[in-house]
Amino acid sequence: MISLRGVTLVYPNGTRALDGIDLEIAKGSFVFLVGHSGTGKSSLLRLLYREQRPSRGSVTVDGIRVDKLRRSKVPYLRRNVGVVFQDYKLLVDKTVWENVAFALQVTGARSRDVIRGVPRVLDLVGLAHKSRMFPNELSGGEQQRTAIARALVNNPKILLCDEPTGNLDPANTNDIMDLLHRINLKGTTVLIATHNVLVVDRMRRRVIRLDDGRITADEERGYYHAAGGAAADTAELPIMRYSVGPRTSSLLSE
Amino acid sequence: MDPGRVRFFLSEVARNFSRNVIMQLTAIGTVTVTIVLLGAFLFTRETAGKIGNDVLHQVQISVFLKDTAGAADAKAIAAKLAHDRRVASVTYVPKAEGLAQMRDRLRGQIDMSLLTSNPLPDALRVRAVDTNHVDQVAAALRKMPSVAKVEYAQDAVQKLVRLSAVLGRIGLGIVALLIVTAAIIISNTIRLTVFARRREIAIMQLVGASSGYIRLPFICEGFLAGLCGAALAVALLAVARAQLLPKLALALPFVPLHDADVNAVVFALELLGVGAAVGIVASWFSVGRHLRT
Ligand SMILES: Nc1ncnc2c1ncn2[C@@H]1O[C@H](COP(=O)(O)OP(=O)(O)OP(=O)(O)O)[C@@H](O)[C@H]1O
Ligand SMILES: [Mg+2]
Repeated sequence: MISLRGVTLVYPNGTRALDGIDLEIAKGSFVFLVGHSGTGKSSLLRLLYREQRPSRGSVTVDGIRVDKLRRSKVPYLRRNVGVVFQDYKLLVDKTVWENVAFALQVTGARSRDVIRGVPRVLDLVGLAHKSRMFPNELSGGEQQRTAIARALVNNPKILLCDEPTGNLDPANTNDIMDLLHRINLKGTTVLIATHNVLVVDRMRRRVIRLDDGRITADEERGYYHAAGGAAADTAELPIMRYSVGPRTSSLLSE
Repeated sequence: MDPGRVRFFLSEVARNFSRNVIMQLTAIGTVTVTIVLLGAFLFTRETAGKIGNDVLHQVQISVFLKDTAGAADAKAIAAKLAHDRRVASVTYVPKAEGLAQMRDRLRGQIDMSLLTSNPLPDALRVRAVDTNHVDQVAAALRKMPSVAKVEYAQDAVQKLVRLSAVLGRIGLGIVALLIVTAAIIISNTIRLTVFARRREIAIMQLVGASSGYIRLPFICEGFLAGLCGAALAVALLAVARAQLLPKLALALPFVPLHDADVNAVVFALELLGVGAAVGIVASWFSVGRHLRT
């Protein structure tokens, strides 16, 4: 489903964010991407939805050479790859329903399909009863569930999550992880970049560890800290994570 | 077309348009000024061109005969000129007829009753086939014994025509500059909207909206701004034509203002088209630059 071969990403300012990545992710899998801050997790995800192109190497997603994809074809890739961020990226002047419908409307869906598709995903994420509320009337977990519903409404084969629980308390974090798990059980390939040790260790799924742009561990049913790896690094303890303010991704900031 | 889709699209355009009303009005105002000037310029050029043409074709040689020459001499000259290939027409104007024509032409402007005797000599009016031959014909006429004076406005007219061509080019340059200015202002207005909606645009791109789809509402916004501005301008021009042209015609009795020759509907549509095109092109570029990032 996802295949990276010899991928190197050097940003225009000279930062080498990824360095010789080789990676295969099978259809239907559930994978964690972990590593220190600034080791290239977000950069790797960005390659998969063509927010970035690799400086070298090939990126294949669902049989498509994403690195070679013509600009005009990128929207079709994006409809097949849902993306969720730490800061939700909801439109504050639209309701939950409108935020989710937006993803269908702007891709030219017929209104019949909007009316059918939106309740389906809102049911899935458990927000059907709050569909008329605005984002600022929702808890962080509910906002993230709205964002997930929006990412899913186009029926993507892959769901990419960049620190989806970064701003959430443990209870909401668990809810979101359960939701992502259920989504995965329905056949969607899920790839999650996260710092959350507890989440990774509880789920016991495939864990890919990045260090300075290289893969240093890749284990099925792994832990956050690779077997025999260093002890918990205090900066990554969950208790510290919650005190950190919202991280903004480079795609959007306000 | 799916009505829900159309409604969604129109509501997006309306939201854009109402987002920064002040800038939007500035853009519309600039287009209005530009199109008014463009319209006035085109009208003036058309009219001036016609006047120039008329005057040019009217270049005629006035041949004044000596007092001693009689009707017979005049007829002899006319007969001789009739055989000249360079001459298109010859008209004999006896002094009495000349005075009558002058009375007609200046009626109401000069009190002709003050004239107690006829100051005009007998005259011939000669038209050349080609304005380039006027010099030669005039020279030949000057040599004739019964001719007192030969007058024509060739030089002056040609200078005038040349001058109006130069002025026309300057005017065209100014209008072109104004159009560019209007385009820049529209494009800045659209860029403000783009900036205000950058979150939405980023999300659209994220969920897979095509760049054409993302562009369309902004193109529509530019189109609307251009069209509104041009419509306002056309309205102003229509009022000006109704109010000013009759006064102008009164003030300049010698100038034939060929108002009727300009097809008002076609002209208005052309101006609207220019306004709309400026809006579309301007917004195309301002959104395009943003989407390429
Ligand atoms: N747009 C960019 N231009 C230049 N350098 C960048 C850009 N985005 C990221 N980087 C750099 O690339 C490296 C990897 O960044 P990336 O965001 O992928 O890390 P990350 O693993 O997601 O970190 P975090 O856990 O803090 O989100 C960092 O050194 C970062 O400074
Ligand atoms: Mg990151």
